[in-house]
Amino acid sequence: MTKTYIHGVGMTKFGNHSDRTLKSLLLDASRQALEAAGRPKIDAVFVGNFLAGSMSNQEILGAIVANDLGLGYIPTAKVEGACASGGIALRQGILGVMSGEYDTVLVAGVEKMKHANTPDVTQAINAAMDTDSNEKHAGLTFPGFFGVLAHRYFHETGATKEHLAMVALKNRENALNNPLAQFQKATSIEEIMNARLITEPLGLFDCSPMTDGAAAIVISRKPSSIHVRASALVSGPTQMQDAAELLSIPAIGESGRRAYEKAGLGPEDIDVIEIHDCFSMTEIIAIEELGFFKRLEGWKAVETGHTKPGGKKPVNTSGGLLSRGHPIGATGLSQIYHLVHQLNGTAPNQVEGARIALAQNLGGTGSYSAVHILERL
Amino acid sequence: MKVYTCCGHETVVKRIYCPSCGTSDIQEQEISDHGTIYSFTKIHVPPVEFAEIAPYNVVLVQLMNTTAKVTGRLMGDVSIGDTVELDRVENGAYLYKKV
Repeated sequence: MTKTYIHGVGMTKFGNHSDRTLKSLLLDASRQALEAAGRPKIDAVFVGNFLAGSMSNQEILGAIVANDLGLGYIPTAKVEGACASGGIALRQGILGVMSGEYDTVLVAGVEKMKHANTPDVTQAINAAMDTDSNEKHAGLTFPGFFGVLAHRYFHETGATKEHLAMVALKNRENALNNPLAQFQKATSIEEIMNARLITEPLGLFDCSPMTDGAAAIVISRKPSSIHVRASALVSGPTQMQDAAELLSIPAIGESGRRAYEKAGLGPEDIDVIEIHDCFSMTEIIAIEELGFFKRLEGWKAVETGHTKPGGKKPVNTSGGLLSRGHPIGATGLSQIYHLVHQLNGTAPNQVEGARIALAQNLGGTGSYSAVHILERL
Repeated sequence: MKVYTCCGHETVVKRIYCPSCGTSDIQEQEISDHGTIYSFTKIHVPPVEFAEIAPYNVVLVQLMNTTAKVTGRLMGDVSIGDTVELDRVENGAYLYKKV
C-alpha cells in the first residue's frame, strides 16, 4: 500500500484577525506549508472549513487556493465535518495519495469567526447539531451538550468543577509558551472557577473560544522524516438522547481503535497527544476513550498531572482548543502542525525524544471523530 | 408519549431501519409521561432564538419503564434524580415540569 509522508506545515497565529480576510489567512498558511515543503508540484487541494458560507459568504475555497497560488487546473474540494473539517480534509488527501491518484496534496483549513457577535456564532455553530430534532427545539446548544455530560460525569465519579478547571489551567499554561496561541495571559484555578457561567457547570474558561486562523500541510507519497502511520474516521450519534451511554463518545473510541489497529500500535506507544478539547470536559472523556486512562478515571489522571508536558501522557502541549484557539476548519490541521514540530524536536513544551504522536479531531457533539497517528522515521 | 422499539433499542424518535437487524419492523409502545432527570444544564448563553427565555434548563430525562431517554426543557431549579412529568409539547420541544 502507498504510504503517506508530511513534507511541510504552515499556520497563522490564532486569535483576532479583524484586519484580514478569510482568504488572506487561508493563502498565508498554504504558502507557508508549500515553502516548507520546497514548493513541490501539487496534484490536488482539500480545504477544511465549516462556516465560511454562513459567516463570510464565501465558498469555492479549494478553487481559490489553486487559482491564487498558481497551482494549475487541478482537482480541489472543500470538506465539511463541523469541527472535524480539518481532520477529515487531511484524511481525504491521504486517501487520494494512498489510492495512487495523487503524488502530492495540499491540505488547508481556515475559519474566521471573530467579526460576528456571540449569539450569531452560537446560532451558526448549532448547525453542527441535528437541527430537525426535538433537542434543537428544546434549546439545546452545542456547549450545552457538554454541560449535560459534565453534570452526569460529576454524579457518577468523584470529579468536580475543579477538575475541569485543572484541564483549562494546564492548557493555558501550555499556550503561554506557544507564540501562535490565541491566549497568552496567565490565569489561576480561582479565576477559572469564578468565571461567568456559559452552560452549567461550564464557565467561560471551560469553553473553546471564537478564533480566526488557518493551518496547512503538504503530504506526499515521496518519503520524508514524518510518516502518517494511520488515518481513521468514524461517525457517531448526532443526538444526545440517542447515546447508549452519555459518558461515552463512541466516535472517539472507535476512531482511536481503528487508528491503533492500522498503525499496529496501542495507547501505550504514544509519546505526545493533541486531542479535541472543545470543552474541558471533552478532554477528560477523550483521554478515556482513546485508552490512555481507564473509563471514568480521566479526572484522576488530570489531578495527578499525568497529562502535563512532563507527565506520562502529555496532552495538548500546544494549548489545545481551549487556549491555542479553535478556528473550526483549521483546528485539525493545527494539531498536526504542532505534532510535526514535536516530532522534529522544535515544539513549545517539547516532549523529549517524542517519536509517535496522535491527533484526535472531533466534529459536532460526537458526530465525527478523526484520528491520525504520526511517526518520526 | 410513545417509544419505538426493535432488537432492544428503545427510542423516542422512530428510526427508518433498526440499527441491529436492519429491518423497518419497528414497534410502537405507549409509555408514561413521567421520568427522572438523568442530567441537565442551565444555559446562560443561548442561541438568538432562545434569548428571551434564558437562563433555562435543557434536561435529559430517563423515561419510566423503558431504556429510552428524551431531551426536553424545564424552567426553574432542577437536580439529577428529580421526578418530572411531561407538561406539553410546544414548537417541537418536550416541556417538562417537576412533580
